[in-house]
Amino acid sequence: MSEHDPATRNGAMTRRGFIKGALGGGALTAITAYEVFAIQPEPATGEKLPPPTGPTSTLSSADDQTDVLERMRVELLRALDKPRADRRWVMVIDLRKCVGCHACTIACVSENKLPPGVVYRPVIEEEFGTYPNVGRRFIPRPCMQCDNPPCVPVCPVSATYKNEDGVVVVDYPECIGCRACLTACPYSARTADFGLTYTQDAPLAAGLIAGRDAGAAYEKASNFEYGTEWPREGHESPIGNARKCHFCLHRITAGELPACVTTCIGRATLFGDANDPTSLVAGLIARPNVTRLKQELGTEPRVYYLT
Amino acid sequence: MTTTRRVLYVLAILAVVLGIYGFGSRLLFGERDVHYGSYVNWGLWVAMYLFFAGMAAGSFMVASLDYVFDIPLFRNTGRYALWATVVTLPGALILIGFDLGHMERIWKVYLQPNFTSLLAQLVWTYSTFLVVAVIALVIAMRGTRTALKPVMVVGLAIAIFVSGGVGALLGVNAARVSFQNAMLPAQFPVLNLASGIALLLVMVGFFGVLADPERRIRLVRVLSLTLVALLGVKAYFLWVDYSQALYGQTQEAVAVAGQVLFGPYAWAFWVLQIGLGVVVPAIVLLMASTSRRPPLAALMGVFVLVGLAVGRTSIIFPALAFPEFDGLTEAFTGPHLGLDYEPSLMEWSVTLGVVGLSTLAYLIGTDRLPYFKRTPEVAS
Repeated sequence: MSEHDPATRNGAMTRRGFIKGALGGGALTAITAYEVFAIQPEPATGEKLPPPTGPTSTLSSADDQTDVLERMRVELLRALDKPRADRRWVMVIDLRKCVGCHACTIACVSENKLPPGVVYRPVIEEEFGTYPNVGRRFIPRPCMQCDNPPCVPVCPVSATYKNEDGVVVVDYPECIGCRACLTACPYSARTADFGLTYTQDAPLAAGLIAGRDAGAAYEKASNFEYGTEWPREGHESPIGNARKCHFCLHRITAGELPACVTTCIGRATLFGDANDPTSLVAGLIARPNVTRLKQELGTEPRVYYLT
Repeated sequence: MTTTRRVLYVLAILAVVLGIYGFGSRLLFGERDVHYGSYVNWGLWVAMYLFFAGMAAGSFMVASLDYVFDIPLFRNTGRYALWATVVTLPGALILIGFDLGHMERIWKVYLQPNFTSLLAQLVWTYSTFLVVAVIALVIAMRGTRTALKPVMVVGLAIAIFVSGGVGALLGVNAARVSFQNAMLPAQFPVLNLASGIALLLVMVGFFGVLADPERRIRLVRVLSLTLVALLGVKAYFLWVDYSQALYGQTQEAVAVAGQVLFGPYAWAFWVLQIGLGVVVPAIVLLMASTSRRPPLAALMGVFVLVGLAVGRTSIIFPALAFPEFDGLTEAFTGPHLGLDYEPSLMEWSVTLGVVGLSTLAYLIGTDRLPYFKRTPEVAS
């Protein structure tokens, strides 16, 4: 388009020019598309091709515009009506959709009020290939909630166990803090709470550090893991304990999805009851592109990855 | 009191004084000042617990040479070895107790144990071992050897079991390639016996123990040769461990072996564990003239103990410092989430304090208890 083209004047497109261009371009696209489909050969067998299937068909098909979050929430409520032992909570993480924003990590820290040095869901970043053929992959790593968890038998006081829902939990007041479960976990999914706070080394000049007191007060406030109030004071649990992801059981029982699921901007983390054959996750974990971490150890993780 | 004893008293008291900071910090502020974390989750205290527990079990094995097997050459050494068990075992328990996030809940292991846990089994067995050792000590103090023998037999069986059990505590972890081999439960009883022999060599060499000089020389010679043989077995274990790891070329095993052999702390392995802990003592103790210089033999015993202590650290730290996933430590950073572990001042302080307490207990006991004042029996 030249400088003297009537469609442009001083570098800006006029309304008439825009409409003409759009109509022309649209017509051209329609003709091209028609020609493409017109020359599409019939299958050799003469049969019609099956309707397309793939990642989008289960997650959000064209005829179902419901957000997967809403679908999972409805399925969650349905699962909560069942006896606990009949549920099988699983998490599915679609690695093709994870953009490595770490929102899930932060949501988890915020939801469970995790202190410094404690993390339930880091997102591991992996680079592979050789320039110019390089790629990156982001692997969120929550607790795998193994069906054969190596961390459970090593606990000297049975403070960690699989609950009726199949989630591996830590009974904080029972845990003696030996960290044998940390050694046993092949996923490093447990961290120890050494009693630190983010504000402990902040300057003490009162009133000069904006928000310091509020921050300190926030850190002392309770979290509500396992549906119990855990104030952070003295050397009381969970300080001194092993801590881990619990699929946000306190949220689940209230009919809410885990914090990492609701905050995932790419809808890459999905959650639900795998025992419900109509659930989103039940469909996804039957895919051929599903995998689990370190399956060779026989731990039977309940976290599945789509690759 | 000999000069050696005076020096040892001073050093032990100094160690206890230096330990006050660590004990105070641990009791007042919990684990705030430790450097182990969530990935290298067992640190100096666990390694030194293995070492102290090893000395306790090994000393009991050595005491049985006198009290169970009635070997004439070892007559009168049993009481010293038994006392060594009684003063080192509490040291081990203090160290492992301090390592617990909630040591005040230890009673739960007794009242609601999960016996599928090796740790629970060990807590129970170590407690039983301590009780048996104390009972044996009391009986031995009264001088009734007939009643002592059955107690010592039970204690010997427990000593061997706990030695292997500690190896199994690590070995059952399938998540850790370097831990999960049958070598650990097999080698720990041997290494513990070496600890016990080395400790007796130190006691005999530095403090006399036996009144008869000729028998003392013979005992030093026998202990020296036994220790050299055990050091040979230790060297073989190390060779098997690391050569297999390197030959197999699995990523984790190679990385862990590489960390020990060529990593930033390789000097500790080569200089302290191998040079000071195996080569030098083996050469010196093999020389016949060494047995005529018991203090030199005792010094070699100290070297061997240092090597064994360092060996415990090279079993624990490098294996835990290998990340379960590449990039895990970069994924989320924070205190206690690193793979580089160096014990904190507070951890060293506690360890020094425990060494001082055990040494002090040994010295005071052997000085004050009437048990050690009886005329030594003379071997036939």
